[in-house]
Amino acid sequence: MENKEIMIEVHDLRKDFKKTIKEPGLKGSFKALFKPKHEIISAVDGISFQVPKGEIIGFIGPNGAGKSTVIKMLTGILTPTSGECRIGGKIPTQNRKEYVKEIGVVFGQRTQLWWDLALRETYMVLKEIYEIPDEDYEKRMKFLNEVLELDDFITSPVRTLSLGQRMRADIAASLLHNPKVLFLDEPTIGLDVVVKDSIRKAIQKINQENGTTVILTTHDLEDIELLCERIVMIDKGKKVFDGPLSELKMRFGQMRELHFELKDADSFEILKYSEDFSFGEEDLTVDKNGSEVNVRFNSDTVSVEQMLSYTLSKVHVKDINVKDADIEEIIRRLYLGGGNLIEETSQTV
Amino acid sequence: MRRILKLHSIFIKQDLKKIMEYKVDFLLGAVGFVLTQAVQILCLGFIFAAIPALCYTVNGEVLDSWTFEEVLFIYGFSLIPKGIDHLLYDNLWGLGYWIVDKGDFDKYLTRPLSPWIYILCEKFCVDAFGDLIVGIALIVYSLCTMPADTLMAINPWRIIPILIVIPFAVSIFTSIKTGTAAISFWTKRSGHITHMCYMTNEFAKYPAKIYNGFVKTLITYILPFALTAYYPAIYLLRGEELWSIPVTVLVAAVFFVISQIVWRRGLRAYESAGS
Amino acid sequence: MKRLLRLYKPFTNAGIQEMVVYRVNFLFFLLGEIMKCFVMFFVWKAVFESSNGETLYGFTYPQMVVYLFISFLCGYLSYSDGSYAIGKEVLDGSIAMRMIKPVNFDMCFLFQELGSKIIQVTMIFLPITVGVELFRFFTSGEILAVHHLLLFIVSMILAYGINFYFNLSYGFLAFFLKNLWGTDIIKGVIIDFLSGATIPLAFMGGFGKILGFLPFASLSYTPVMIYMGMYDTKQILFYLGLQVIWLGVFILISKLVLKSAMKRLVVHGG
Repeated sequence: MENKEIMIEVHDLRKDFKKTIKEPGLKGSFKALFKPKHEIISAVDGISFQVPKGEIIGFIGPNGAGKSTVIKMLTGILTPTSGECRIGGKIPTQNRKEYVKEIGVVFGQRTQLWWDLALRETYMVLKEIYEIPDEDYEKRMKFLNEVLELDDFITSPVRTLSLGQRMRADIAASLLHNPKVLFLDEPTIGLDVVVKDSIRKAIQKINQENGTTVILTTHDLEDIELLCERIVMIDKGKKVFDGPLSELKMRFGQMRELHFELKDADSFEILKYSEDFSFGEEDLTVDKNGSEVNVRFNSDTVSVEQMLSYTLSKVHVKDINVKDADIEEIIRRLYLGGGNLIEETSQTV
Repeated sequence: MRRILKLHSIFIKQDLKKIMEYKVDFLLGAVGFVLTQAVQILCLGFIFAAIPALCYTVNGEVLDSWTFEEVLFIYGFSLIPKGIDHLLYDNLWGLGYWIVDKGDFDKYLTRPLSPWIYILCEKFCVDAFGDLIVGIALIVYSLCTMPADTLMAINPWRIIPILIVIPFAVSIFTSIKTGTAAISFWTKRSGHITHMCYMTNEFAKYPAKIYNGFVKTLITYILPFALTAYYPAIYLLRGEELWSIPVTVLVAAVFFVISQIVWRRGLRAYESAGS
Repeated sequence: MKRLLRLYKPFTNAGIQEMVVYRVNFLFFLLGEIMKCFVMFFVWKAVFESSNGETLYGFTYPQMVVYLFISFLCGYLSYSDGSYAIGKEVLDGSIAMRMIKPVNFDMCFLFQELGSKIIQVTMIFLPITVGVELFRFFTSGEILAVHHLLLFIVSMILAYGINFYFNLSYGFLAFFLKNLWGTDIIKGVIIDFLSGATIPLAFMGGFGKILGFLPFASLSYTPVMIYMGMYDTKQILFYLGLQVIWLGVFILISKLVLKSAMKRLVVHGG
């Protein structure tokens, strides 16, 4: 890693917001109007990391953790309260017009394309905005066409595109000017499995062929698993994990989910997982919804086999299956753990 | 600069194509705008049916008066700079009403282009043809129905200062919209402030002399819409109020500078607060 | 009645809260809109000074000013767009969520709008009427009679009801027509003109008399004329009766349109 060129350098980045507090109810809204109270909130609370050129890095964390604030600072939309970030040696908010030529940004939730324009025209507009020479433009379009299969809908107006097509179109739009860094904010949100897969493949290909550094935020474990060599996890504005995915999984991947449907919903009473096994507080959660039961447990404490045979010996089930814990589960456990895991992980590895 | 014109022309072409695509919508919208003006003019007709001319009197003494045709001409002229601004720079309304509020402003900051220019050239508002058509129709109609001697008294050379002044008049509209729309960077929504200031242009459709001192000052210097309508129109008709031509240019320049300062401050506030 | 109030109070509260939050915006919007009245205030002044007689079509200048502002006020108070929201919900199917609850859904909208109306009334009714009455008193020595005010309020409530159910019907229709924006502008202009909001119907001669019988006049012309004391007792009774009839007609129409809209919704499965 040392001999690689550093593309993104973030040092002790902070962002404070002033927030108006509104008390609930009618009285509250009147009060807020005449005597607004403010509160300073640290959305990003001293984050540092580095990204080498050509790496794909995944940003994860719960909603409101500060992910998008970090992305907004890196893309030059927001000015940091303090700290510093440099991308390719440039500071985003200084001379933004020059800086943004070197990055591509995709916000999964909202398109940056023009609703009424045909896709081809959209790219013509971007060609003008980024002052791309004709020759480069042709070459670039050809490549993006291949990777993202735009040909089927390039003449359609953006508003008629399906969500998956729109996302492909958006990604292509962000890459027309061959940026050094690509920011993807939830690029697979709301897409079906097939489309997700094709988008992931495209991201990979772009990364490999052009050496584009990619920063992506997501809630989808598979995105991370298939794309990212490294993840940075943020919670409450602080970095709580930074390292390869395998490390995270090794530490937290032992959670399993046992899901079954009872023949007789009342027989649930007989199952006493917490009494009959010695789970720690964070190692077991049981949810019941009608005759469906969901048990999440730590397979280090009690093996999958033990849990299965215990359940099957006690009650009659219609259907049963065991799953790996998803990223949500890992994240949940991390948050329940509360503290900062960086020291811990560096000790264990 | 050439890049901006090229960009603008792409959007213009696109919006013109849109008219063909949504013929009915365009037609209904245009009919609506034309109808709005037509009803007001009809009312003017009803009013003028009862009086010979609109007079400006002080203590019962008539100091100035305008015929129905002259009033129609001023009214029609007022729609021209307003219509051009509406046609080219309508997107500023969106900024104050929803672009910042919904968080859609971010995308303007991720492009290598001044966000102000980007917003301005992004939309071409074809509805404005309603204003422009009515404006031109009124000017032509009022000139045609004017008594011959009034018409002959118009010096055709006056058209030159008028043509020079029109872009500046348009820029007064655009600057006022820019400055008030930029307030949304602090408050998220400011469309209503823009609306309030913009509506002041209603005063400019009629001879400025009929208003009291406060309103006259307001529409000449504070929200100087009279400079975009009454003064140039009456100069064209009668050669009066020549002073207003250089003043319009000057005021337009001042307003441009002020609006840019507000815009830049707003942008900085946005960058430090986000949304 | 008590149960009814308890049931719908949250909707009214929600409407009020929304208005408070947007209070400042509303104030600016209102100032912008009322600008037109001030323009006409000066135009009328010049018009009256230009005419030879004291009155124009039976209006003196102070009366004209009262007319100008009170008809603006009426336009505002009788304005209703909750109906617009219903039309939208019917078409995107979300109305189903309201249908399954044991509340009358057009009542929800009505009460929600009532909430914002309360704020509007306190914010604009008082300043405008006080301003107008001061003007009237100092220019003509006349002042608003209490019974005219009370009758005006009755007429205003009827006008609001007519507008609400008219817009409800229109909202559904417009969604069938698929174009709201354009037709909305056209509708607005036509209503403004036919209701006498732009210029008193009296100025339009015989044509204006015919317009007086149409529902549009019930929206603004009738309450304003009552407020100004331009109608005698017989006329007041006649026009209030007319308002009641129009209200009934529009409630009926809206129910019919709603029914056919719902049928369509069921056919298309939302």
